[in-house]
Amino acid sequence: MSADVLYSIRNLTVEYNTRAGPVRAVDDVSLDIQRGEILGLVGESGCGKSTLGKALMRLHDELACLTMGELRFDGRDLMKLPLSDMPKIRGAEIGMVFQDPMTSLNPVQRILDHLTETIRTHEPKSSLAAARARAEELVERLGIRRERLKEYPHQMSGGMRQRVMISLALALRAKLVIADEPTTSLDVIVEAKFLDLLRELQKEFGLTILLITHNIGVVAEVADRVAVMYAAKMAEVGTAREVFADPKHPYTQGLLKSVPNIELDGGDLYKMAGEPPSLLHPPAGCRFHPRCPFVMDICSREEPAFEPVAGGHLASCWLYRKAGVINAPGKQEARNG
Amino acid sequence: MPNPSEQLPDILPEGTTWEAELKRVGFVRRVFMARRWYGADWWFVVLSSIAVVGFIVVALFPGLFAPYSPYALVGPSFLAPGAQVDLPILVVLKDSPVKELKDLAVAPDAQRPAVAVVEGKPTAGSLNEQAQKIDGEIKNQPGGLRLRPVIDRYVTLAEALQAVADRTDAAAVVQTTEFQAIKGEFPALRAAAPVSGGTSTTGGFLMGTNDIGQDILSRLLWGSRIALIIGFSSSIVSLLLGVPLGLAAGFAGGIFDRLLSLLMDSLYAFPGLILAIAITAVLGPSVFNIIIAISVLYIPTYYRIVRGQTLSVKEEVYIEAAKSIGARSLEILRLYVFPNVIPSVAIIFSVNVADAILTGAGLSFLGLGLPPTIADWGIDVARGQRFIQTAWWMITYPGLAILMVVLTFSMLGEGLTEIFNPRLRQR
Repeated sequence: MSADVLYSIRNLTVEYNTRAGPVRAVDDVSLDIQRGEILGLVGESGCGKSTLGKALMRLHDELACLTMGELRFDGRDLMKLPLSDMPKIRGAEIGMVFQDPMTSLNPVQRILDHLTETIRTHEPKSSLAAARARAEELVERLGIRRERLKEYPHQMSGGMRQRVMISLALALRAKLVIADEPTTSLDVIVEAKFLDLLRELQKEFGLTILLITHNIGVVAEVADRVAVMYAAKMAEVGTAREVFADPKHPYTQGLLKSVPNIELDGGDLYKMAGEPPSLLHPPAGCRFHPRCPFVMDICSREEPAFEPVAGGHLASCWLYRKAGVINAPGKQEARNG
Repeated sequence: MPNPSEQLPDILPEGTTWEAELKRVGFVRRVFMARRWYGADWWFVVLSSIAVVGFIVVALFPGLFAPYSPYALVGPSFLAPGAQVDLPILVVLKDSPVKELKDLAVAPDAQRPAVAVVEGKPTAGSLNEQAQKIDGEIKNQPGGLRLRPVIDRYVTLAEALQAVADRTDAAAVVQTTEFQAIKGEFPALRAAAPVSGGTSTTGGFLMGTNDIGQDILSRLLWGSRIALIIGFSSSIVSLLLGVPLGLAAGFAGGIFDRLLSLLMDSLYAFPGLILAIAITAVLGPSVFNIIIAISVLYIPTYYRIVRGQTLSVKEEVYIEAAKSIGARSLEILRLYVFPNVIPSVAIIFSVNVADAILTGAGLSFLGLGLPPTIADWGIDVARGQRFIQTAWWMITYPGLAILMVVLTFSMLGEGLTEIFNPRLRQR
């Protein structure tokens, strides 16, 4: 493992207990997040990307949800920490920006109180005035006038609230910011500004950002590396250039072809065959095989390992393996860089 | 020529905040325009708030408003609202120097004056009472005069008056209205001062008097104090117990929530008044015990509302966001859940006060709540019920008082619900 890996996820499995039975929303996923990068995590709705994001902070209710695997963040395995120690890490070291800025702020608390509370939760010794000064400095950096700190969340626009959410993550200089579909509810202009801001902040503060989104365009715009998830599994990981220029996994190829393009003539937009599988009864072997245009015999029988296909470019697909060479399940490993 | 661009637009563009609109229209206009912002229930809230404040002021200082003490026997019994008191009056000869009852006093060894009364009228009682009172005052004074009249009873008023005219009796004590009616037949007689007896007023009573001559209005005003104490104290006690329990159960969940909910639901399912009767029957009648009984009754109301709200607030994204910035459970409860739950508590509190007053009145009506002498609306209603055919005012006014106060508090609560809940608001 190289030294610049900030968060190393190994064999992460998140299982929800539902009435219909256990559902693995994240199944045996391994991923490295490198220090200082923007990693885009893309996939269809329901493929487990938000669950993965939450699991990184152990935000899941332990009663309803079983989390297994290794979450090595900055040298510590978070899974081995008692849950009561997690609040010290949340906010201070890992921040999170949620999908809907309209509902992710407490409606009865002023913006200033959100910020000062965050600061003082983690630094009980800092005075209210100091926390206030820091909050003002921070929001001005993010382009919100300091007078507006006195306002309540409903008095702000969506873009502003999303910037407030970011400032909450930045207030304590979090090393990693998990942005869970941060621009989904913003219009394109605000979205573009927000993405620019993310880029700037990442450079200025040396932030590491995990950008969870279903919007391929957003990922292409800002991400350094891209991870593609399909049906609770990791399908492909590589640099943005590699993945967009030369997608290896048939799912990624289909995904990129499905993006509407103005240069495309006459409405023959590519539609992937079939539907994403139910995670309650996932298909045997490769989970994409029922929809895959290159399906082979082995695909329905054995699960492909998540292994490098070229350099740091990883994919889990039999197309790039010698048929018959089967890796035993559980030995899958991600090697980045 | 007016420039149209200088005039303010009548209809503001979509998305104008209410602050901007307030700046534009000013405070006074805002009050008048309130219906537009808060819906029709705005007036409900204003009127009922005024009424509630009035009720509280009266209940806090009943002495300022009540004309009499609620326990004093200030008038004749069963006096109808607004009717004049028919006071006994002293009737003497025109040439007699007697001006009031006191003037009939004589030396201890002299012959006691005879006073005529009509049989079956309450005047003899007043005479006796008043004479004894005067006697007690004067007998130790210098001169040592005594006032111990001999009472002569006659069958009719005319006979009694004739006895005075014939100088058989020194004076007569008769009812004023009756004397006024036949005064012409006895030109030798004149009316002296009224003999007030137990009655301390010559005027009428706005709401009449009850069976023992207490002023109903004064009892109502003093009774509001009990209603206020019971209504507010029991609501506050159940709020202080129900809200934390609801928060804890909703937030913690699990077996604690299950058990507590089971307990609360069984309390809730029990008929309210019967439960309160059972509790007061065990504890005994006192204001404190009524408060205990009623607050036990309403704890589940708060518990259920707060628990439900907590469950829904707990699932909000901002709670998850709070967790993601490292807030601990207690902080989330205090800063995120509680402030979002409290508006609905304020609303049920208001309705709850009304309910508690009603239940308190019901308990005293059944004779379980308070000692029967206390000025309390429930007790007054129970008392008036026995005389409903002869004295309608005895049951009507306390009943109306309960109705008005309960209605006012409910109106306030309902109005606040509509205002606080924008989904119910109609634009």
